[in-house]
Amino acid sequence: MAVASESESAGKTRSWQSRWGALRLTRRFRRQLLRGLIVIAIFFALNAALASAYGVGILQYTIAGLVVGSIVIVAAIGLSLIYGIRGFANFAYGDLMTLGAYVAVIVNVLGGLSLILGAIAAFIVLGAVGILLEFLIFRRLEGRGPVAPLVASVGVGLIIQNGIRAVATTRQWNYDVTPIQEIPIVPGLGIHPIRGIATLGIGFLFMLSVHILLKYTNLGKAMRATADNLELAKATGIDTRKVRYAAWAVSCAFASTAGVLLGLGTVVSPSMGFDVILLIFAAVIVGGIGSPYGAMLGGLVVGLSQEMSIPLLLWLGRPDVIGLQHATAYKVAIPFILMIGVLLLRPWGIAGRPPAFAPRVFFVERLSRALTRRPAVADQSEGDG
Amino acid sequence: MAIDVGILINLGFYLSIAIVFAILALGFNLQWGYTGLFNAGIAGFFLIGAYTCAIAITAPAPPVPGGLPGHLGGFSLPFPVGAALAMLAAGGTAALVAIPTLRLRADYLAIATIAFAEIARIFTINLETITGGTIGILLIPRPVDYGPGQPFLNMATIVGIGGAILLILLLFLRFVAESPWGRVLRATRDDEEATMALGKNTFRYKLQAFALGGAIMGLAGALFAVTLVYLEPVGSFAPAVTFSVWVMVIVGGAGNLRGAILGAFLIYGMEWLSVQLKDFAPEGVKDTIFFIRLMIIGVLLILLVLFRPEGILREKKRTLR
Repeated sequence: MAVASESESAGKTRSWQSRWGALRLTRRFRRQLLRGLIVIAIFFALNAALASAYGVGILQYTIAGLVVGSIVIVAAIGLSLIYGIRGFANFAYGDLMTLGAYVAVIVNVLGGLSLILGAIAAFIVLGAVGILLEFLIFRRLEGRGPVAPLVASVGVGLIIQNGIRAVATTRQWNYDVTPIQEIPIVPGLGIHPIRGIATLGIGFLFMLSVHILLKYTNLGKAMRATADNLELAKATGIDTRKVRYAAWAVSCAFASTAGVLLGLGTVVSPSMGFDVILLIFAAVIVGGIGSPYGAMLGGLVVGLSQEMSIPLLLWLGRPDVIGLQHATAYKVAIPFILMIGVLLLRPWGIAGRPPAFAPRVFFVERLSRALTRRPAVADQSEGDG
Repeated sequence: MAIDVGILINLGFYLSIAIVFAILALGFNLQWGYTGLFNAGIAGFFLIGAYTCAIAITAPAPPVPGGLPGHLGGFSLPFPVGAALAMLAAGGTAALVAIPTLRLRADYLAIATIAFAEIARIFTINLETITGGTIGILLIPRPVDYGPGQPFLNMATIVGIGGAILLILLLFLRFVAESPWGRVLRATRDDEEATMALGKNTFRYKLQAFALGGAIMGLAGALFAVTLVYLEPVGSFAPAVTFSVWVMVIVGGAGNLRGAILGAFLIYGMEWLSVQLKDFAPEGVKDTIFFIRLMIIGVLLILLVLFRPEGILREKKRTLR
């Protein structure tokens, strides 16, 4: 996991002389802060430019992107936890989201209680389901490489998805919430209190709680250690078995909330989770596999890129440009193009740190080296490959 | 007599589709069983093969009343050319998908390939002028057509062609598996670092194996197009196809050619039986029988991975004597 190393020696001589030297930010954090501020500034400038060129209405895509992004973030954090600690891609994750959404349907639509209670019930039930999955299946697959648990997780997904279809039929459900009008921010641009503001708020709340869990609790510390190096964590006396159960519970509970949010934004249907699982994988890979912080960044990037590509695709769909049919259907391909780009250039993710002994000669590096082939003298001390 | 022919045609349909799945399973076996490359986008390569072949061999579409969108086509090439183009297209795409991911861990390849397969399906559904959209491609000519009055002969010919392709492929893959090239593939699967240390460029071998496996899947697609004589993108190329092929290879035994074929015939047999039994099923189960079948596939995947990862026919032990 990408964890800021707290104790970086910050210039031994100068900083200790000053009284506030101890509070100076570490160099790594300063660099990250600067980078983050630049990206945010560019993002705001881009949106301001778009708004001034095409009117404020175009910002609805940005808002939609942030909303989709926060759903993806909640899901991607959960997926990333399991990826980091159990070391495999959980393809059942989308269907676990669906299961969570259906638990909330039972409480909210059939039981007539509020959706918040439904979401809490789904959170608890799915946490138990996660523990059960680890107990019944995945604990037996330890040490079998990444593919065996992946195949088993596809099996779990098939059972959940088709079990739902067999029991609840293929009909679509809507949550029973009081209809509220959109709140206008400025004329021509509104935000929905539940679908917009609540989703954003819950996404932020989950990000914060994961940060607290990982940074300030013993469990979180143990999780980070287990994800970093299983053997070393075992050797230091961490009960990795307990950590794994906890990770499954947290991951599946997060899946339920992501599922409820997704169902709130659209409808609840048996394939709703599986339809977005690839988007979540794209977020996890773009952010860096196994890093919850990367998953946050990746989710935001994926959500924004998908929704903000709509105006561009609509423009491409105009008959005088290319006349692409069903142009907006291609929006789901945009995150994957990003994902392929990240896999080519930075396979450890935009937020992750490159591993020390990773095979560095990737396709692009090789290409650029082939294009700028010079005598061996020029290629000094790079020492890779 | 008429009933007998009906049953025979039904059985022929089972055989012809099972052969298509067996070819898919052989392609996946080459990629995963021999080389250890876990392809989660089988349906995508299958789709590319099927559509390439269908577009290459169809005649110009006659104007259809009702305003069907139509598709790219009208080349009327013979089936072998269409199949070769399908193999080229699917193999080429496989190489392109593999290049960024082959150096990374197995699950990156799985995610990239399943993403590719879904994108291919989305494009196929939406690019109406090329693929015919959700309606798909109709009136694909058979390699040998005895006319609409001879369904049995048509079916028998397709089964014959499919069986011949499967046999040739089996012999070819057996030869490949025993060749030095196949040995390097297995060595890469078992211990990539050691193989690199022996001076083999494992990336190149993995790329070749993945592209060849993709081409075989493309061939399966071409055969599928002429077997069904129509293509529709929504159901035939769903991710469930990929998962079925996984089960086939895992049931039969990864790394074993006969196992992959056996698995394909068994698992598709189950699917076919579920269709046959639908009419006899009790009222409550009737509508859910397809979902129950997919659930059984899921249960099978889990049980096999847990308790018999080597499958029915395990891989031949190759030891030095």
